[in-house]
Amino acid sequence: MIHPVDILLILVLLSVLFAFASSRLPVLIRILAFQGVVVSIVPFFLEHEMTAGGIIFTTATLTIRGIIIPWSFYSMIKKMGIKREVETIVSYNASVFASLLLIVAAPMLSHKFNMISFSGGTLITSTAITLVVAGMFLLMARRNAIAMVLGYIMMENGIYLIGTALSSGAQHIVEFGILLDVLAGVMIMAIMLQSIKQKYDNLDTAQLSKLKE
Amino acid sequence: MIESIILWILAICLSPFYAAVILKVKAFFGGKKGPPLLIHYFTLIKLMQKGSVYSNSTTFIFKMGPIASLSAALMALLFLPIAGRSPVLSFNGDVIFVLYVLGLGRFFTIAAAMDTASPFEGMGAAREAFFPIICEATMFMILILFFQLTGELTFAAYFTGIQTSGLWRVAGAPMLFVVMAFFIILLTENSRVPVDDPATHLELTMIHEVMVLDHSGPDFGLIELGAFIKLLFYSTFVARLICPIHAAHPFVNFVIFCAALSGVYVAIGVTESVMARFRMDRVSHFVLTSFALAFFATVITLEFVK
Amino acid sequence: MLEIIFLIPFVAALAVFFLPATAGRVLLVLTGIIHLLMTIMVWTIRPEAIFPDYFALSAAGLLSLIVISLLFFLISVYTAEYLKQSHIRQENIFTGSMLLFLSTMTMVTISDHIMVMWIAIEATTLTSAPLIFTHKTSTALEATWKYVLICSVGIAMALLGSVLITLAMDVGHVKTAVSFSALTEAAKQLDPTWLKAGFVFIFVGYGTKMGLAPMHTWLPDAHSEAPSPASALLSGVLLNCAYLGIFKTNKIMVAAGLGDFSGTILMVFGLMSILAAATFIIKQTEYKRMLAYSSIENMGIIAFGTGIGGIGAYGAILCLIHHSLIKSSLFLTSGNIHSGYHSWFIDKIGQLPARMPKTFVAFFAGFAAIAGFPPFGLFIGELLIIVGAFRAGHYTMAAIFMLSLCFIFAGLSNQVFKMSFGDVSEDITSPTPEKACLVWPQYALLLTSLALCVWMPDILYQTIMAAAAAMGGGF
Repeated sequence: MIHPVDILLILVLLSVLFAFASSRLPVLIRILAFQGVVVSIVPFFLEHEMTAGGIIFTTATLTIRGIIIPWSFYSMIKKMGIKREVETIVSYNASVFASLLLIVAAPMLSHKFNMISFSGGTLITSTAITLVVAGMFLLMARRNAIAMVLGYIMMENGIYLIGTALSSGAQHIVEFGILLDVLAGVMIMAIMLQSIKQKYDNLDTAQLSKLKE
Repeated sequence: MIESIILWILAICLSPFYAAVILKVKAFFGGKKGPPLLIHYFTLIKLMQKGSVYSNSTTFIFKMGPIASLSAALMALLFLPIAGRSPVLSFNGDVIFVLYVLGLGRFFTIAAAMDTASPFEGMGAAREAFFPIICEATMFMILILFFQLTGELTFAAYFTGIQTSGLWRVAGAPMLFVVMAFFIILLTENSRVPVDDPATHLELTMIHEVMVLDHSGPDFGLIELGAFIKLLFYSTFVARLICPIHAAHPFVNFVIFCAALSGVYVAIGVTESVMARFRMDRVSHFVLTSFALAFFATVITLEFVK
Repeated sequence: MLEIIFLIPFVAALAVFFLPATAGRVLLVLTGIIHLLMTIMVWTIRPEAIFPDYFALSAAGLLSLIVISLLFFLISVYTAEYLKQSHIRQENIFTGSMLLFLSTMTMVTISDHIMVMWIAIEATTLTSAPLIFTHKTSTALEATWKYVLICSVGIAMALLGSVLITLAMDVGHVKTAVSFSALTEAAKQLDPTWLKAGFVFIFVGYGTKMGLAPMHTWLPDAHSEAPSPASALLSGVLLNCAYLGIFKTNKIMVAAGLGDFSGTILMVFGLMSILAAATFIIKQTEYKRMLAYSSIENMGIIAFGTGIGGIGAYGAILCLIHHSLIKSSLFLTSGNIHSGYHSWFIDKIGQLPARMPKTFVAFFAGFAAIAGFPPFGLFIGELLIIVGAFRAGHYTMAAIFMLSLCFIFAGLSNQVFKMSFGDVSEDITSPTPEKACLVWPQYALLLTSLALCVWMPDILYQTIMAAAAAMGGGF
């Protein structure tokens, strides 16, 4: 029978597919919130006994990755009144194909490196690889600044997932430091986004090309 | 065998009735009373009593179109396990045969449409030829999945008896994606909203209906009947997948199947009521989603079956 | 009590946000002095950390620490004067960010835990972003956006690499702290495949931050758009911090017997950076960007030297120290030139000795030093690296290395001579006034570099040797 984590992770993989196909920012943000929630609750399923520190840390991760970050972006696009579709470099249909290839390649990769044996669920490593590469893809294939930042967050989610799956006894205080760094980074990016919006009245990064050589 | 043939005839007879269920659901959503459930029988009888008009510019291909498409649909139905009973005909690899029999029917519809030399019909034919290509990719992806799960290439192996629930047991959650993919194929192949709107009156935006504008009387009746059967054909897949229950008594079994089938038709009706037709360039996106889902399900399942 | 050294600037930064601008300037210089004194104390007493799992002193860390501290003190003197002249809105944010930047960089130098190192390096990115965005122009916006995004993504790769190194521990059944020092000791037991993978990701990640080609694209933009004192800090010390991450990981690799693998990567990327810098320096039209490319070149040299190991590693560390001193002085001087000519373009600058004599001395001496003229330390460092390359038998690479250095020398001198002695359209009537505080820090930096070539304190020499020893350094 399927491990309960795997069902969640299948949905995460599916959400990657939708993130690639979706042209609307609110959808992308919702997908990211979902991924954030799943990624942060995975430790609950993996570890047999949770220490108090572990529970506190997992809750903090859940709050930051699943609620605070997506919510702040959501309120930001509401405030900015962004309705337009995301500007792309790679078209949506091509992106969907890319995501399919990715979903095939990631399990192959995790089989090849024999990563499965380290983690509890079957799909954790392949999902993590998919998230990392998918985040990078969004960074490269979208011209919209918010979509790029969302890609970065997706990548961070993937790395966090690899971290929880692979490294056993990590110190929570260190993990918390990483989390704070990521949060601060995202907030700084959000400030930059607002400045870009103020200066250019939209978020197309193609305009940011004055500096060359 | 006798039972299978009876079921086959029953399915043909019931297909217009089920098509009317969609109309009823749409009427309900529109707050209207809607046509009677037997409306399609009346229409078919009316059409059969009329005479046909043929344009001077058409050839025998135009007359062949409706007959070929109907016989293709009937033929396909022969291989379909209805209500979980074994089909009339079955051999290893029949899934591919059936897909191409349906393709043959489509070919003749398209050829007949091109034969009229009407620009509208040519346009519809081009669309009719384009979207099923993606559907075919999806179908094959699903077949690969089913083949991996059962090791056989017959519809009988997938949809008879307890086989269907077996698919669910092995594959689990990814089967949901297969159901979704099938549903999208159903909508596309049968020209339903949001891919195509059968009720629209603007030829420019049509796909299927525009191709049969020049057919009249009995010819049109045959095309309509063929379309009903095709819809039933695809709905059966979905119905069996969402309701894989297999009862011992054939009659109970049939009732359960009919109920599941009504569920599918109601779902189509609801989809048509709540969704608007897609812009033509978004349709390929939509159909591609089905491929993505099927592909995804296949990859995930292979991951587990290994 | 080691942690205090990065907590003090942190507290000072928090204070600055609530103080008036003038008080902020004073506090900036004051923190610089205190930090320098504390660093000297750390060098002499070598205190223990309160959290020994996370923080510990190392030879390379100590070197970076003293460079950071000295540079920050001199730059803070310059900044206090610079802020009076320039009209920066929200000055508190600028000074506060500088102090936070100092705090995070200090944290990098003393962190021993792999993840804490990552946290600190990522924090340097975040605290320096406001510095680059100071002028709030559209180009500054672009530079900051690129900086934050490229560096964050790059450093995310380093996080992945760090995770893979912990995986190498699990696979090898190593049960120690996840710290660089402990891992270097247990390096032989680590799983080599995962260690290699971890190194590659860490190298790509911190290499992005260090400005190695082809991940360098953010560097010229960020350095040219930041205010000059901030550029001096970025180029002088931030790059060193990123290098420290690579250096320490490389140390594990060498200890695990995978030095050839990591060395080759370092050498190849080092050479690529030097070559990339050479092509861009020759046709550069803005002098601050030219300096930025020169930083890429020097980072390439350092990576190349580290990759060679042995005497080359010693040379690399020399280059690291001298590059910091010289390049930060040059960036400060470029700020002076801009305030005299109001242009960043090389074409618009000329008659420098007549118009800004003191600045000219600092600028020309800095150029001579960065181009690798004999009395200065970079010459010795580069020479050692070349000797090391020949000793290790990397003849082709050494040849490419020397050739690109020649190109860079030609490019640099062409531009610098144009700026110094070329004609400008407007007539020069009188020399532009030059404030002492805006010149002396540069002189001090250059003199320090010069002094280190003539006489190196024994404690410094020992520390450099200790750091290079990990790469099989020494003579």
